[in-house]
Amino acid sequence: MLGPDVAWYVAVAAVLFGIGALGVLIRRNTIVVLLSLELMLNAGNLALIALSRHWHNGAGQIFALAVMAVAASEVCVGLGLVVALNRRNLSLDVDSLSELRG
Amino acid sequence: MSASSLTSILIWLPIAGALLIWLLPLSRYATGSLALLFSLAEVGFWIEQAARFDFSRSGLQMAQRANWFGDLGVSYHVGVYGFSLWLVGLTVVAMAACTGYGFWVGRDRSRAYFGLMLLLTGAIVGVFVAQDLLVFYAFFEAMLIPLYILIGVWGGARRMEATIKFVLYTMTGSLLMLAAIVVYGLKAGTFDLVDGPVSASRWLFLGFMLAFVIKAPLFPFHGWLPDAYREAPPEVSAVLSGVIAKAGLYGMLRIAIAKFPEPTSFYRTTVLALAAAALVYGSLLAFRSADFRGVVAYSSLAQSGLIAFGLFAGTDLGFDGAVLQMVAHGLISTSLFLIAGVVERRTTTGEFRLLGGMARGRPALATLLMTVGIISLAVPGSASFAGEFLILAGVFQRAWWWSAIGAGAIVLAAMYMLRLISGVLHEARGSTVVDEALDVRTGELALIVPLVGVLLALSAWPAGISHHSFFGQSPTATVKSQFR
Amino acid sequence: MTGGAWLCLLAPLGGTILITLCGTRIPRVVAAWISTVSCFVAFGGAVWAFLGVQARHAVGPVNPVTFLPAVPGRGEITTAWTWLQSGNFHVGLQLLVDPLSTVMMLIVSGVGALIVLYSIGYMDGDEEERRYFAYMSFFVFSMLLLVEGGNLLLLLVGWGLVGLSSYLLIGFWHKRPSAVQAAKKAFVMNAFGDATMALAFFVLIAHTHSLSFAPNFDVHLSSTAINLVALGLLGGAVAKSAQIPLQTWLPDAMEGPTPVSALIHAATMVTAGVYLIARTHPIFEQAPTIELIAAGTGALTLLVAGLIALVQTDIKRVIAYSTMSQIGYMFLGAGVGAYANGMFHLLTHAFFKALLFMAAGLAIHALAGEQDIRRMRGLGQLMPFTKWCFLAGALALVGIPPFSGFFSKDSIVAATAALGTWYGWIFWVCGVAGAFLTGLYTFRLWFLVFPGEPSPFVREHHHRHGRLEGALTMLVPVGVLAVLATVGGWLQWSPRWTPFTDWLAPAARTLPVAIPTNTQEYYTSAATVLAGLAGIAVAWAIYSERRIAIPAAPFWRRALEEKFYFDLLYDRIFYAPAAAVANVLRREFEEPVVLQTGSDLGEAALETGGLVRRIQTGFLRTYVLFLAAGAAGVVLAFLIAK
Repeated sequence: MLGPDVAWYVAVAAVLFGIGALGVLIRRNTIVVLLSLELMLNAGNLALIALSRHWHNGAGQIFALAVMAVAASEVCVGLGLVVALNRRNLSLDVDSLSELRG
Repeated sequence: MSASSLTSILIWLPIAGALLIWLLPLSRYATGSLALLFSLAEVGFWIEQAARFDFSRSGLQMAQRANWFGDLGVSYHVGVYGFSLWLVGLTVVAMAACTGYGFWVGRDRSRAYFGLMLLLTGAIVGVFVAQDLLVFYAFFEAMLIPLYILIGVWGGARRMEATIKFVLYTMTGSLLMLAAIVVYGLKAGTFDLVDGPVSASRWLFLGFMLAFVIKAPLFPFHGWLPDAYREAPPEVSAVLSGVIAKAGLYGMLRIAIAKFPEPTSFYRTTVLALAAAALVYGSLLAFRSADFRGVVAYSSLAQSGLIAFGLFAGTDLGFDGAVLQMVAHGLISTSLFLIAGVVERRTTTGEFRLLGGMARGRPALATLLMTVGIISLAVPGSASFAGEFLILAGVFQRAWWWSAIGAGAIVLAAMYMLRLISGVLHEARGSTVVDEALDVRTGELALIVPLVGVLLALSAWPAGISHHSFFGQSPTATVKSQFR
Repeated sequence: MTGGAWLCLLAPLGGTILITLCGTRIPRVVAAWISTVSCFVAFGGAVWAFLGVQARHAVGPVNPVTFLPAVPGRGEITTAWTWLQSGNFHVGLQLLVDPLSTVMMLIVSGVGALIVLYSIGYMDGDEEERRYFAYMSFFVFSMLLLVEGGNLLLLLVGWGLVGLSSYLLIGFWHKRPSAVQAAKKAFVMNAFGDATMALAFFVLIAHTHSLSFAPNFDVHLSSTAINLVALGLLGGAVAKSAQIPLQTWLPDAMEGPTPVSALIHAATMVTAGVYLIARTHPIFEQAPTIELIAAGTGALTLLVAGLIALVQTDIKRVIAYSTMSQIGYMFLGAGVGAYANGMFHLLTHAFFKALLFMAAGLAIHALAGEQDIRRMRGLGQLMPFTKWCFLAGALALVGIPPFSGFFSKDSIVAATAALGTWYGWIFWVCGVAGAFLTGLYTFRLWFLVFPGEPSPFVREHHHRHGRLEGALTMLVPVGVLAVLATVGGWLQWSPRWTPFTDWLAPAARTLPVAIPTNTQEYYTSAATVLAGLAGIAVAWAIYSERRIAIPAAPFWRRALEEKFYFDLLYDRIFYAPAAAVANVLRREFEEPVVLQTGSDLGEAALETGGLVRRIQTGFLRTYVLFLAAGAAGVVLAFLIAK
């Protein structure tokens, strides 16, 4: 039952989340942006599971499963978009995809 | 199949049909046929429902209830009363005719078009059978989505302006209604229309009423009406004025009057005055309109005023007459807009200065327009006469001057309707009327004649609706008991 | 007997439906005969109902000459189904078969059948004959519904439907703008009458919850209520019967085909107002003021219409004004309480006025549609049959014994004398003066059209349809009506011989005040006949012998030709203001305010959107930054709140 204190898990999750967020903010390549998003989601999962263990409450783990499902579908849609963009020979640069600007 | 599932079938069958049409890659002809099949099946199910409906029983019938958000007291609750049965009947019949019309004229982007028409059918039926405020609201708003696209994509030259105006107006009303629903539901602990208590809050009443007077519409909330009725495709205008407008009036009866008795009597004179204004103003403007659809549009405004008269008279005759008139006018304006479409297809215009003389050599068109026109101006003996007579006799018991205004407006109705008939059919031939323009074709006859047939049948027996809308001996007492 | 009533009502409706459904699949002449046969079947039904009423209510000794029972009983009501119901108010689809309604059924279906038969010849060759005959049958159905309707609402239904068929038939030649205008005018003025009747019914419903004949007539309302009811009914009657002030539609209605004028605008529909007063007489008796107004309206109209008829130049318009004038007599009779006398004049008038119109129709037909009497001189030499038939009708109209008008008109004028009040005497003087005018305008027409050498116009345009003066289908009804116009009045010669009044007694009893003494009858008869003869003599002197010049009175002549400016007046005070108000509303309110509101709202929304759109850069990172900033803000807020 011993192991690192829950604070460490949360700290790792926070770092992961930060890296992910920075990736989304800075990188231009669509695939990398997607990867960074996944990173953020998993950071959330890590925090959920750690805290679930800490508080002896199963809800967090269930929630993490739900997040994984969402993440999976998100990857489907996201990669689908990337494939569609590629098929039309469009740039994968997120900055050039600004048609929906108001 | 149990009787109570019929209500749900009537809502979800067309919606399922819409999904099916969107999914299947069918040809235009197959899509249209499928949609028509669904709308005819809908009529069949309605006939089955009407046959199983027990007019001697009191309370909600063929009800279905399933918990949705239990904590909030929200449930999927549907069922029918006598008057909702008639309005559902109006919906399915009118929608079948309009879908058929879309098929006949061969609307492009057929899968989208017919799917939307079916979705619209389901949503309207939902409004008339919903017995939970949130369900009601959901369907009330769901009507807007297909309408928005149908006007915006298939409409006339100024369609975008008309669409945006229509959406803006109705959204304003329904947002206030949403607020009113939330407050009412949280206060009452339930959103159920059958179980819900009466409320004395005037603000909530006004919130509901605003949505309904815009939808109906009543003067001066009709700013969206002339443009929408002129720019929409004829069959969509037919739905708008024949059926959608009735949703607003139905809301007044089912929610505003039944749930808010105290505010109803407090604002009675105000609403009656608005209704009288709609009646006179609509009639006068219809009299000066320069085109076919303009006349029908403003006459719909006048008719909404008349029906609101009956509802807010608060007398037995008023309630019965209002329900009868809702159905009669729904059929009339649906037929008139379809005939407007028939005329426009032959002449490319609805303007009287370019029309005229179409009766010569086109006996079927002349007979149809003449028949619907004279029923519409409430010639004694017609269903609309029966409705208007009951309404005005009912409002007379409130105060005589309302009836005097109404009777005056009926004389005006004769003036504008005869002007419409003569403008299209009589005198010298208009510049856009060519000899080759055909008489009404068999396909079009098959759509309009059933509507006229129903109107004539109703004229022979208006008591079929007027005496079978509210259970119990007195409609006033039934409304007062909140239909329990 | 109820079977006869239903047959009578439904046969013409069946004719209409059959012709409409067959459409162009049947030849024209078949449509014509369907309509004619349906009307004759209706007449058969009416006879059946009449005999039924007579047999069923044979009370007391049977009159040896007419075989009618001296005292027929009350009528019978037959209900098909409940037509309209709401709460405790319900109205059945019911027919009333009683002496009054059977008399009207006989007149409507009998004269109607003859006129439809006449139409076969008259309308021969018209483009849309089938439509015409469908409308004619529909009119006969509506009129029968009006007279048979077993409650006030059904009466109103028939009332509205005859207005509708009148509209359809006046505007039958819908290529002519004047016909369409006239049709619309007739319908709208009648709609006004319908509206006042409906308001009267609302008063009744509010007080008695019922519209059936019986209870309303027994119940006693407050005097205000009963006056309002009577006034509303009178409004309907005045509009339908073209009495002042709602008379202007009738002359214009002559735009319709001539048989239509004969049937609707002379024999049946326009006299419905008299039937209404007779039918609802218990209401009018409780409202003596309104009854007096009805009588006064009749007296005024009979004089005014008679005067206007003097200057008309269109043969049909002269007869139309004469119709108004004669209905004025009937109103006068019904208004003073002599319902049976009014109804009797309705009966004889149906004969002789239909005859006059149809004889005029023969002339018009022979002259290829010409209606101007100034061009018609000498027609009698070419059309002797028409001439003699017209003369019979004219003498009946003027009231020269032994023609029918004499018996009916004199008894009305005598009834006013029986009132014995000052206004009774005014009515009496009006009646006698009206007889003079009738003689004058009728024989002005006669002398201008028939005697003498044919004018060049007539010689040039007259053409025969075959060997006779018209088709046989036209001549037979004219002949039959000529006989009826001559002998139809012998049915009754008050006070010696009154089977008609006795027959109506249970349905429309004559008020005791309106029963004249023998002396009054005799001097009234003498006065009206002399006045009529004087009118004829003056007409002879002016128009035949040209011994007297027409008095020059330009102001009066112009006023008469302008029909006392009623049309102008109504245009100024009703139509023009309504149109102006509507235009002002549209220009000043609808377009700038109501319709603009939506656009204004839309523009305001767009402008707001324009301001906010700046932050929508389209760069993903901007959005994420906002998101992060927002999240940080929320966290910060929580921390501070803690």
